[in-house]
Parts: sequence; C-alpha cells; structure tokens
Amino acid sequence: MKKLLVALLVCAGAANAQTLRIGMAAQDVGRLDPHFAVSTIDRVAVAWMFNGLVRFPPGSIDPAKIEPDLAERWDSSADGKSWTFYLRRGVQFHGGFGELTADDVVFSLRRAATAASSAFSADFRAFETIEAVDPHTVRIVLRENVPSLLGIVTNYSGGYIVSRRAATERGDGFARAPIGTGPFALERVTPNASAELVAHAQYFRGAPQIARISYRFIPSDASRDLAFQNRELDINYGRADQTWVTRNRALPGVTVDVFEPGELTILNLDTTRPPFNDFRIRQAVAHAVNRAEMVRWRGADVSREGQSLVPRGYLGFTADNGLLPFDLARARALLAEAGHAGGITIRVVHTQLPEMLSGMQVIQQQLRRAGITLDLQVVEHATFHQQIRQNLSPLVYYAAARFPVADIYLSQFFHGRSRVGTPTAVTNFSHCDMADRQIDAARVSTNPAEQLRLWAEAQNLLVRAVCGVPVIETLLVFARRNNVDYGYPLTGAMSLGPLITEATRITP
Amino acid sequence: MISFVTRRLLASIPTLLAVLTLVFIIVRIVPGDPAMVILGDQATPEAAAALRARLGLDVPIWTQYFRFISAALTGDFGASMVTSRPILEEVAAVLPHTVDLTLAAMLVGVVVGVPVGIWAALHRNGVIDVAARLLSLIGLSFPVFVSGIFLLLAFALHWRIFPVIGSAELNDIPDRLYKLVLPALTLGLVMAAYITRVTRSAMLASLSEDYIRTARAKGVPWRRVVWVHGLRNASLPIVTVVGLYVGILIGNSVLTEIVFNRPGLGKVIVGALNQRDYTMLQGLMVIYCFIIVVVNLITDLLYGVLDPRVKQA
Repeated sequence: MKKLLVALLVCAGAANAQTLRIGMAAQDVGRLDPHFAVSTIDRVAVAWMFNGLVRFPPGSIDPAKIEPDLAERWDSSADGKSWTFYLRRGVQFHGGFGELTADDVVFSLRRAATAASSAFSADFRAFETIEAVDPHTVRIVLRENVPSLLGIVTNYSGGYIVSRRAATERGDGFARAPIGTGPFALERVTPNASAELVAHAQYFRGAPQIARISYRFIPSDASRDLAFQNRELDINYGRADQTWVTRNRALPGVTVDVFEPGELTILNLDTTRPPFNDFRIRQAVAHAVNRAEMVRWRGADVSREGQSLVPRGYLGFTADNGLLPFDLARARALLAEAGHAGGITIRVVHTQLPEMLSGMQVIQQQLRRAGITLDLQVVEHATFHQQIRQNLSPLVYYAAARFPVADIYLSQFFHGRSRVGTPTAVTNFSHCDMADRQIDAARVSTNPAEQLRLWAEAQNLLVRAVCGVPVIETLLVFARRNNVDYGYPLTGAMSLGPLITEATRITP
Repeated sequence: MISFVTRRLLASIPTLLAVLTLVFIIVRIVPGDPAMVILGDQATPEAAAALRARLGLDVPIWTQYFRFISAALTGDFGASMVTSRPILEEVAAVLPHTVDLTLAAMLVGVVVGVPVGIWAALHRNGVIDVAARLLSLIGLSFPVFVSGIFLLLAFALHWRIFPVIGSAELNDIPDRLYKLVLPALTLGLVMAAYITRVTRSAMLASLSEDYIRTARAKGVPWRRVVWVHGLRNASLPIVTVVGLYVGILIGNSVLTEIVFNRPGLGKVIVGALNQRDYTMLQGLMVIYCFIIVVVNLITDLLYGVLDPRVKQA
C-alpha cells in the first residue's frame, strides 16, 4: 500500500516538473478582467496575463524607470497634454485572437476610463480623447496635466490592454475568460481551488521558460505553510510578520523576499465631528501613538515607521512635515486641557480581518495608556467598508498602497472632493480640505521642482492639522524555493506579488 | 412508494419557497455593498452606481424579488455577481467534491461508530465501554481545524504518505480517492464519535427489552440476538442521526475544505457571503435546502425498510 502511495506521489511530482505552484492566501479569485481586478489575489494573476503600453521593469516600482512595453516608444507635446504611443509590431493576443492593433489600445483605455466597465475610471478623469492615428499609433490628449501620464498607461490597474474582440464577444464572461498579450494565458479556474495558466508561446519577448502556473487559493495560513514545507508549493504568500519571516528563513532551500510597495497605515480622524473636531484631542492621539513599538511588534524586517501622510519612497514624499512625536505626558496633558482629565471613550468601527484587527488592538493599548479608550465595534470586512463610508466611525484605521506618486494618496485620502458621504467620495475619512489648493496645483504643474514643493506643503498642512496619524508601513512578503529564479531582483511589484515573466525559471 | 415520494417532494415546495424568500431578505439585510466589494476601495460613487445598475440592484427590492422568484421557478438561478459565470455551472464544478467528502465521512462515521457503539454497549461500564466513551468525548471536543492539522503534521509532513493540498482533478479517480483519505478521516471521526454514543444508548435500550430476554431463553445464539434482534430495533435512532448528520456534514465541511485546501460547497458559500454575491448565495441556499430535503426523504424511506410498522402507518 505504502509503495503504491509513494509511486503516486512520484508521478504527481513528475507531472509538476514544469509547473510553477504558487500558494495564495485567498478563498478564490474574483474578476480576472484587469479593469475590475482590485483584490490582491486578482492583481497578482492579472499581471502575468496582460501588458500596458509601458511597464515598470520587473522587480521595480520606481516611476522614473518606466520602460516600453506594448509601445516601443512615445513622445509628448511641449505642454505635456498630447501623448503619442508607437506600438510594437507582431504582438499576439492569447488564444488566436490575433495581432494587437491601435484599435485594441483605444478600446482598452476607453473601457478603463468608463465607470460602467472599470473600477479605475477615476484615474482617467483628465483624459479628453484617445484615438488611433493609424493601426500602430495611438494618441492621448489630456484636458489638464497629470503628475504621471505614463503611470496611468503602465502595467497596473486601468493601464492593461485587452483584446477588443475577446472583450466584446465574451461580455461579462471576460471576467473568467480574459485575453491579453502577457507571457501566460488563463487555461481554467476551478472555483475555490486554483487557476491554471499556460505559457503563451507567441509572447513578444519570447516563449516563457515555465510551461504552466498553478495558482492555488489556500486561505488557511497553517495549511499553506505546511504545503510549502512539504514541497507542494514553490512560492508561498507570506504574512508581514517577523516570526513568520524568521521561521521561513530558517527552512533549508528557502528564500524570503520582502518588497515594496509598503502599505501605509493611517489613523484617519474625522475633524468635523466630536471628539476629533477638538484639535487638542487629535494632538493627544498623535502623541499617544508609539510607532517604534508598532515596528517592534510587526517586525523590523517587514515594517518601518510611517513618517508622513504619504508613504515613504513615493514621488513627493517628505518627512519634514511637523509630525508630532510619541509623548505620553503631553498626550495626557492635552486630553486634560480638552476637559477629559479622567480619560475619554471613543466608539470606533473596525474590521475583523485578522491582520488589521491585531494592529488596531496594539493601537488600542497604546491609546489606553494616555487615557483614550477605543470601544471597538468589530464587524465583518465588507460591513466595515460600508460603515466607514457612512461616517459611522470618527476614527478609521486604514492601510493602503497606491501608485507611488504623492498625488494619488493625497487626492484620495485628503482632498475635499474625496470626502466620504459626498457624491465624489473616495476615502477621505478625515474630511480635511485645507490642502486642496496645493494638491490641485501640484497635479497640473509642469515644473517638477514646483510640484515637489506643493506636495511637501500639502503634507505639512495636513500633518500639522492632524487629519491623520501615520502609524506603520508594512511591506509585502513572499517565500520561494531557491530553485525558483524570477529572472530579476525582486525589490518591488505594483501587482502586489512576484511578476512571473518569460525569464522566470525553475532550476533542477 | 411512488406516491409517497411524490407527496414528499411536493410538500417540500413550500419549504423551498420559504427558503428562497428568507435567503433573499437576509442577504440584503446584511450590511455591505456588493458593488463596493467588486470595485474595491478606490471606487467612486459614480462607478458603484453604474455597477449596481448593471447588476440589477438599482430597481426596487420587490422587482428584484419577483425577478428572482420567477427565474428560480424555471430553474434559472442567474449568474454570479462576482465571476459572471452561471451559478449552476459554479455549483456543478464543486458539488462532486462535496459529495465525495460527505459520503466518505459518512462511511467512516458509520463503519467506525456503529461497531464501537455496539461493543461499548455489550461491555457496559467495563474498560472497553469507558474507553469508547472517553474517545468519543475527545472526538466530539476536537474541532476539525485542530484534528485536521494534527493529521497533516503526522501523515503529510512526518510520514509523507498523503499530500497537504487535497484538491484533485475530477476525472482522475485514483488521485481523487487518495486525496480524500485525510479529509474524510477528519470529518468522519467526529461523526463516528457521535454515532458511537447514539448506538451505545440505543443498543442498551434495545438489549434490555423483553424480546431479547425471550430470544436468549429460547436458546438463540448471542451473536444473532445482538445483530438481528438488538441492532435492527436500535437502528431507527441511528438512521435518524445519520440522516440529520449528513446536513451537518455538508455545513461543517467548510473547515475541512479550508484546512485541506479542497473545493466544495461550504467554501463557496463562505466566499459568496464575504463578497456579498447575492445571486450566488441565493442559488447555493436553494441547492443546499434541496439536498437536505432529499436526504430526509431517503431517511424516511429507510425507516419503512427497517420497521414495516412505519410503512403501514
């Protein structure tokens, strides 16, 4: 019996020789239509199947290094409002959907810019026209300047190019039968089990070295880790937790990659309602947060202190912003000044998502030391998102990573137009609008130095007004077997997971 | 028999309608906006409104209800809000895995639970009885996510006999059976613990009846007394519990599916709830309810086979 079982295992191993097996902490994929791919599990897979006009070099998230992808070159007018992209010839879509043309690009960008067919339509607000000049040339005309046009048409969010014919023919079915130009094509999805991808032999950068990817959805951390230890997975999604990193680094033949973008956690304080309409109470919260302790708790290898209301490394970030230091005595004094010498209790809605809940519990203990009691109303995650957008929580613990330019973070979280509860709401939970002028001016400025100055000024205004308290930045963590060579040094991935390219290989 | 089955199936229609209505109401009462879940946290209200219209959530709730009921009555449960795939297709992709696990766990539960229960009853208050009761108590007390992890540590990591990832291709029967062993043991041993206790009690009651004493006095062999006279009369509560437990097994299988990374109905239900996939939840609940109705019907039919008095009644 045991011999038979061993034989079965050997057969299974042989069949997997050219298959890269990746374990992901999720129940299932959602929509693999790139213009609706919003969750981490969807974004990671979409990046293997699609290209943008331009791309971040694999392993990097530096906007200054953006390079050609489907477009082999581009130029722009002197005022930065007209951009022309010249497409590569001979790029083939998956599944025999033919050669990429300007029509596909125009269709894709218009689709991404339309609210009914995209989750990223807001990114295209400044687009006036997108048109095909000829079968291999596309022109984009902007209504107003944007901080990074290339950032919008890169291999990220709404920038992915889909096959016009496939998207039109398949309609809603495109979400689970997507057609792109990337190194891997979707073969099938087994609900709640895996997505199977096959190499796109006609990929324009050359046929991938790996034949297949088996993308497995394993929500239980314990089971996923056991499967990785048991060599049933080649790459494993990791928790941003020092214990996990240390334990996995100790495993023989395993490398743990910790990479950007860092997800910045901010305590957003609603400045329009009690108790945070009192500046002194906002200051008390800011003084009570001990960022160094948060980093010790999460782990020095996977996190760093938040220094501003924009994550570190983003274009326009400044640490010179007047951030209040940890000072418990000052926090208590401010609270007493505000008439709460005996302490204050604040009812806060929070999610039951374990990673966010544990972080909030540490904050809860830190604030308690200053006399601020957070009465946590823990709700299911979708409920949390709904309730914080209904202004039901004066303090919102929120963690996010965005395109690495200050404008996106500032516009979504701290611009008056993005205030929750308004028709143009995004995620401005603090209701602050004192930096709107600087944010708007920086967005359309064509002078990089002026842009940086305005973003720094905006951060100064918002930090000094304590619209939010930056807490911690948490990096992405994946473990891999040493025989997996990504083909590039992994320091960052806007798709929030390792990019599997034509150069990625499994060595014997 | 046919008229009995037909009557029972017809009687289940009001139950199914009630379930349809309840599920429709409950999924909409739960806070959380499906459009926001699908679009993510950067979505604008404009994009959310456009998606709600596309999903048919912008019309009055009564219109949504009548659309749903009239489609369901024709067997059309629509498409998932998240994946856009027909719900019946989504269910068909995972149902065989759930059926595999449920039947295998039931087999483990009955094959282990019934003999151990009988054995314990025959050695009432003896060492065997105490041991059986203690083991069944342990079985009932261990949640499957703990016992499952223990089994994985032992049989997957230490002895490397079984894999950690328990999902298999449907057309690969040997692989399917191989990967079913640990999940079936995990779920089945809990059921076995329960069946052991029920069997023991039923057998003790049965063995103290007058007809058992009469059979023994007439010189009927003890083995025959136990298996024919004792067990047959004790089997009604056992069959009832097994029937009830099948519903529990399907419901409880979600943790086993998560620990062993198997696809299945339980995981789909949890996923649909997290994603506020209204149409998927509605379809799944109807299918789940239908399965329970069929299992209860089979249980009732078995009563008639085991005890002719039930059939006559």
